[in-house]
Amino acid sequence: MSAPVPTSPTPVRTATAGPPTPAAPSPSAPSHSTAGHVRATVVFLVLMIVVAGFVYPLVVTEIAEAIDPGAANGSLLYHNGTVVGSELVAQNLSAPWLFWERPSLTDYNLTLGAPTPYGYSEPALQSLLNETIAYMKEYGNFTVNGTLPFWWVAPSASSIDPDVVPDAVLIQIPRVANATNLSIPFLQSFVNAHTVNPVVPYVGVPYVNVLELDLALLPLEGR
Amino acid sequence: MFELQSLWDVIVLIALVIAVAPFFGAYLGRVYMDRPAFGDVILLRIETVIYRLLGTSPRRSMRAKEYLFALLIVNLGVFAFLYVFFVFQSVLPLDATGAPNMSWTLAFHSAASFTTNTDFTHFTNESQMSLGSLMIAWPLALFCSAATGLSVAAAMFRGFTRKDGTLGNFYVDMVRTTTRILLPLSVLFAVVLVLMGVPETLTNVVVAHPLTGGTQELIFGPVASYTSMSLLGTNGGGFYSANAASPLANPSAVSNLFEVFVMMLIPFSTPFAFAAVVRKRNEAWPYMGTILIVFAVALGLFIAYQAATNPSLIDVSSLGAQTNGYPVGQETRFSLPEASLFQVVSVYSNVGANNMMIGALSPVAQLVLLFGMFTQSTPGGEGTGFATLLLFAVLGIFVGGLMVGRTPEYLGKKISTGQVRWSALALLIHPASILIPFVIAVTGGFVTVDSGGIASSAHTFTAVLYEFTSESANNGSALSSNYINDATPFFNLAGAAVMLVGRFVPIAAMLMVGGKFAEQDVLPPGPGTLRTASATFTIYITLFLVIVSVLLFLPVIALGPLAQIVGGG
Repeated sequence: MSAPVPTSPTPVRTATAGPPTPAAPSPSAPSHSTAGHVRATVVFLVLMIVVAGFVYPLVVTEIAEAIDPGAANGSLLYHNGTVVGSELVAQNLSAPWLFWERPSLTDYNLTLGAPTPYGYSEPALQSLLNETIAYMKEYGNFTVNGTLPFWWVAPSASSIDPDVVPDAVLIQIPRVANATNLSIPFLQSFVNAHTVNPVVPYVGVPYVNVLELDLALLPLEGR
Repeated sequence: MFELQSLWDVIVLIALVIAVAPFFGAYLGRVYMDRPAFGDVILLRIETVIYRLLGTSPRRSMRAKEYLFALLIVNLGVFAFLYVFFVFQSVLPLDATGAPNMSWTLAFHSAASFTTNTDFTHFTNESQMSLGSLMIAWPLALFCSAATGLSVAAAMFRGFTRKDGTLGNFYVDMVRTTTRILLPLSVLFAVVLVLMGVPETLTNVVVAHPLTGGTQELIFGPVASYTSMSLLGTNGGGFYSANAASPLANPSAVSNLFEVFVMMLIPFSTPFAFAAVVRKRNEAWPYMGTILIVFAVALGLFIAYQAATNPSLIDVSSLGAQTNGYPVGQETRFSLPEASLFQVVSVYSNVGANNMMIGALSPVAQLVLLFGMFTQSTPGGEGTGFATLLLFAVLGIFVGGLMVGRTPEYLGKKISTGQVRWSALALLIHPASILIPFVIAVTGGFVTVDSGGIASSAHTFTAVLYEFTSESANNGSALSSNYINDATPFFNLAGAAVMLVGRFVPIAAMLMVGGKFAEQDVLPPGPGTLRTASATFTIYITLFLVIVSVLLFLPVIALGPLAQIVGGG
């Protein structure tokens, strides 16, 4: 980028066709006046509001509805024709004949937003876990006297985590078998069939989507 | 218990980003040097029409002060639009959830937060934000703040290549950033997110009938397009208040890895954009070295401490053994390294999104996140992160040059008092805008604890420190609202001031430093020139960065996180 040498007061302009090459800013281009800045700002903002607030989401919505309407509309799940929930949102499933979700600090109420977390060494965290475990043991009718999976009794980050670790589903089988006419070996193979394992090893972890599991279970229970 | 094999996808993803970054960075360099680039056939025509509407032209290159002026009025416009929208959101279109108008202090905080690329929220999206605010108002800031950061970086880079004192045209940079980078990529990434299960609809509320009776309100919206731009632009706001922890915004382990890629793409490519603009290919790797060293140590510490068993829970009976990390405030579908990668990338790139509850993390993991916000530059937010690292380098070369008796110069440009003064200001304003409001909040009795919250002092200190650090770094991640109630007029107004200062003072410094370089002739390299394209430079800058950051923040770390670690409480 060498500075042009002003030899002639009227520089000869050669006719160059094609796209402009603005790499070398001409020193003769005047800077903007304040009014020029205001105009540029206002026009720029109007364009950006149209693009960012309308064109962008509407175009993506159109594409989404065309390529994957199920996901675009929230992965809704139906039972007997009514919307029972979303594959991606946990709900209260604490009935004896159903498998249970992780506990929720907001009672699975999406409108309450993110819950307030429990600090690492807060005494309140210990009490919460003790209460949860006591509740699970009392109402869960667990025949096991051992431990409950930590990943099941701990509060999740979203409060609507729809997935639980397979261990947590397996220990609920005796209760579900008790409340229904289904046998324990059948339920074990049923849960195994609904366990989502990583397609590629160690990308994600094995889990069970409880709402989907329960929805598949309902017809077998005759509900 | 922690399986080493589960690290593999995390390592592969980081390697992929490092492999892509030189090419994407070179593309960014083309965009900002107006060199021929992909899409010129259509985009050049569109851009020419836009310039005509704006009444500007790429030939009108601006000096630092004019560039800053244009930047400030555009950002003021964004701020004003958001503020008015939030204050009147209940009477404006698309308020199906019945979100009330925001109070003026909350609207002030929110508008400042989004305009400054922070996206720290003092509200619950689901009940206090209308769909219009989420879909029309906030995305304006998602785009403009990201474009502003990249434009500032581009302008500063150009300072090293010019002699006429100008840095480029701000409006042209904003337009080209949008048409060439943000808009095409955000559309592409949003569509990928939909394919991974993220909703994208204009239906706001669906009432579901759960299996055990009652009703459940499901809230949807253009989640994929929002999330895509929020992460790509290192904004980090969430469509849902649970952010990327919500299964609706981050449905699977695969989407989690993809979102990490989206967050890393631009920040990790910016060093290569710098090298492309200054036409010195080898200048990018020393900075990448610094970024990767700090980032890798942070990620390693984070995973190690989240894998460790929480000692305060040994008394809980019937609790199973801890596998796959510490589950409190975590989501089932991610492995420990995947969840950790997201969180560390998010905070270190100043995105500020979260896929876990930061308030539930071990104190060491929280300290790791705080450190990323202290440096703000490994790799830091869109554009401004790497520009901050350049300011560290300018100071470091100046100090190092004095120590070993070499000419303090960088890329053939002499580092004079002007550049040093502005760099020092930018780096000192960060601790000042954290510590001053921190002291006022703590000693002035402004820290109130939510009902049911815990007023443990070290926790509360950490929460207040995290709040202002996140705001000053324009990060946006939040520790929690359990330790402090931050939805008060004091925290709204103080937080807004911190974010505005933490954003625009360093931006002014970056432009001024670039402007001073742009006025100087290029010196030929002599025997006294410090070789910056070397491993020695990486080690030097890394140590300089770490020592300066630790010295600035050690006293306040000691009050909060260190007290928690040492005291175990």
